[in-house]
Amino acid sequence: MPGALDGVRVLDLSWGIAGALGVLLLAEQGADVIKVEPPGGDPFREYSGYAVWDRSKRSVTVDLKNPAGVEAFHKLADSADVLVETFRPRVTDRLGIGYDVLHARNERLIYSSCPAYPEGHRLANRPGYDALVQASSGQMWEQPGWRPGPIFLYMPMPSMGAMFLVPTGIIAALIAREETGRGQHVRTSLFQGALLYTTQIWSWVPKATSFFYFSVAKSYPPGVHQEMLFEVANNEWVHASVMSGLAPVKSQDAILDLPDASDPERYMMLSAEERAALTPLRRAAYKQWERDKLIDEFRANNHAIEAVDTMEGSLGANGTPHPQLVANQMVATIEDERGTTTQVGVPIHLASTPGAIKGGRPALGSDNDDIWGGLGYSPDDIAKFTGAA
Amino acid sequence: MHALDGVVLVDFGQYLAGPFGPMIIGDLGADVIKVEPVTGDGMRMANGPFFGCQRGKRDIALDLKSERGREIALKLVEKADIVHHNMTAGVAKRLGIAYEDCKRVNDDIVYCNTWAYGLEGPLAHFGGLDPLYQAVAGLEYESGPVHAGNAPMYYRFGMTDTANAMLSVVGCLAALYHQRKTGEGQELWTSLLDGGAMFASDATLVNGEPVPRPKLDVAQTGIDACYRLYETNDGWIQIAAIKPAHWEGLCNALGVPELVDDARFASASARAEHRRQLELLLEPRFKTKTAIQWMHALDDAGVPNEPAVDTKAGELVMFDADNERLGLAVEYEHPLLGRMRQFGNVIDFSETPGLVHGPPPIVGQNTQEILAWLGYGQDEARTLRDERVVYWPEDDYSWPI
Repeated sequence: MPGALDGVRVLDLSWGIAGALGVLLLAEQGADVIKVEPPGGDPFREYSGYAVWDRSKRSVTVDLKNPAGVEAFHKLADSADVLVETFRPRVTDRLGIGYDVLHARNERLIYSSCPAYPEGHRLANRPGYDALVQASSGQMWEQPGWRPGPIFLYMPMPSMGAMFLVPTGIIAALIAREETGRGQHVRTSLFQGALLYTTQIWSWVPKATSFFYFSVAKSYPPGVHQEMLFEVANNEWVHASVMSGLAPVKSQDAILDLPDASDPERYMMLSAEERAALTPLRRAAYKQWERDKLIDEFRANNHAIEAVDTMEGSLGANGTPHPQLVANQMVATIEDERGTTTQVGVPIHLASTPGAIKGGRPALGSDNDDIWGGLGYSPDDIAKFTGAA
Repeated sequence: MHALDGVVLVDFGQYLAGPFGPMIIGDLGADVIKVEPVTGDGMRMANGPFFGCQRGKRDIALDLKSERGREIALKLVEKADIVHHNMTAGVAKRLGIAYEDCKRVNDDIVYCNTWAYGLEGPLAHFGGLDPLYQAVAGLEYESGPVHAGNAPMYYRFGMTDTANAMLSVVGCLAALYHQRKTGEGQELWTSLLDGGAMFASDATLVNGEPVPRPKLDVAQTGIDACYRLYETNDGWIQIAAIKPAHWEGLCNALGVPELVDDARFASASARAEHRRQLELLLEPRFKTKTAIQWMHALDDAGVPNEPAVDTKAGELVMFDADNERLGLAVEYEHPLLGRMRQFGNVIDFSETPGLVHGPPPIVGQNTQEILAWLGYGQDEARTLRDERVVYWPEDDYSWPI
């Protein structure tokens, strides 16, 4: 059974994480994605993540500074359902491949733009690397750290928000096109991606009580949300949880041989001072346990707990991948130019039209002959506008 | 016209990872009906996070454990395009609103469950909260960072809640598109665990060995001497001096032109190798001026930079004139709490604009109109309310929000 987006052709002109990952979600639900790169390749190609984010796509090159390249690209866009780009607002207009030009030629085209900031915003002409948007949107100030002040988010949060908004906007526009027969310009930004993650922490409601805000507000040193992270034996860590949805068999404190007063559900309701008095006791109890033994014991008694793993650890770098990731088919083995690789799988599980990885990252321009040739160009023409000549 | 005009989504979810996806689908124009227990959504006590996941929904308060409550729920499902929830294993089945039950009354329904762990497997029966999946994905390890000797640290943005919810949005819309093309509905699922894995998607093993990645430093400032936060004499500034020209501009702007050709720092890889040495030279320079002074100096030198803004818990974002004008911050009137603001449109459409419908509903706010829509007469509705199968607010409203 083909994927849910079977028959949808996407041209991916994006640079950066948001476009690459957002389009990957479309590719692995069945869309035919062609990554369109300049003759030298997407400048981020060398960073390791892109070998994952650009898989399941085909690759063509084209020189958009060459009029013959622009003309060829117009023909390619005539055959497309979707185009994705991440340049600053108006850059594609200057290249001759803006929304107005392409939509006039192909009115079914859905044109998705994801710059750093929305067009018309005073920040729109500021440089747009992810960490700069973390800074300008206030996210760095919101994250607690081991020192006062803003904290660099290792997880590129604005991009990791926008990567969901890009495919959301595109598929919504595909659904609308079923009614109207027309495509449209769909725009989001890294800045809007950052806003997506503020839903739990930012709302201005002066008349509401602030119980939640006080319990999880940013504080220095980091506050209550750190308190369920425990060091265990051998310099390893676990994150325990007060909620598993299951009825406990033995309490966490009974497992840890702690006095009842530090029972975690009660513990979280204690005052900061009361908690501080109990904390050394709890921390010492956890230190006595080997990580995997404690996890087994917690789970056998219906308590939720996880190892604090490295990014590669859950993929199996230390021998065993996370068993539930394996069950979810989220640990995939793929051949690409680097060899046999272990990567994340497909995270959206549709029962009748299951998604699938369609192969490793394509070599630069590997589909030039097929795609440009299919539009009627001779090998000589192709060499000229792909920069191979 | 809005992109999802006419689409009806029935949202049986509670807490965060369930309801957030439907809210975003509502912003695209869908009619989202929140089915809330007559005892209220357990998240209402938390205020902010509840508001952040519920705006613009219509609300029917319903006892799903009663026979007639289930009957009403299935009548809603009959009218729906999408059913969405985050119940733990077996609960939907017990309540009689599992996929098979819904498909029986609506053959082409799109049915989505957002799990904690997943559909099947060793931990599928466990629920769990966001930080556990941050732990699995390596987020807590990397943000400590543990490799530098710090304790792990959790991100306070509900990372995997949001990821799970947004994956479900993409999945529901893909399934709806397929349904519009073929007439076939289907079941789908996503999870907090898999949402977390997307954040670690740049991690790979090649022939079993991890591929090196840039690492966060012990002071949590950044991943490279030229891609990090620096403290100025009044706050912090993030720089992103990535290209060769940026490096030269940075040295000149900071008044250390002699570093441009210093062999220790002559290339990006040399700068990475001598990161700490370079930082010790740059850190005192940044302390000599304010963040805004550095912003202008670096702008003039062509070096990407941005002062790190303290938005006072978002208030300055919600009242920013550009954000207001562009619809990124919206205000509405809550029936009990008056003025409130939240983030607005996160996607802009040229032909089918987004639709931020309004504030989060109070418990059972739309029960009566929804019952009427389903064909229940006023007397019947009153009886259902008297028997606590449904609830709508009269003078007995007991929730603060």
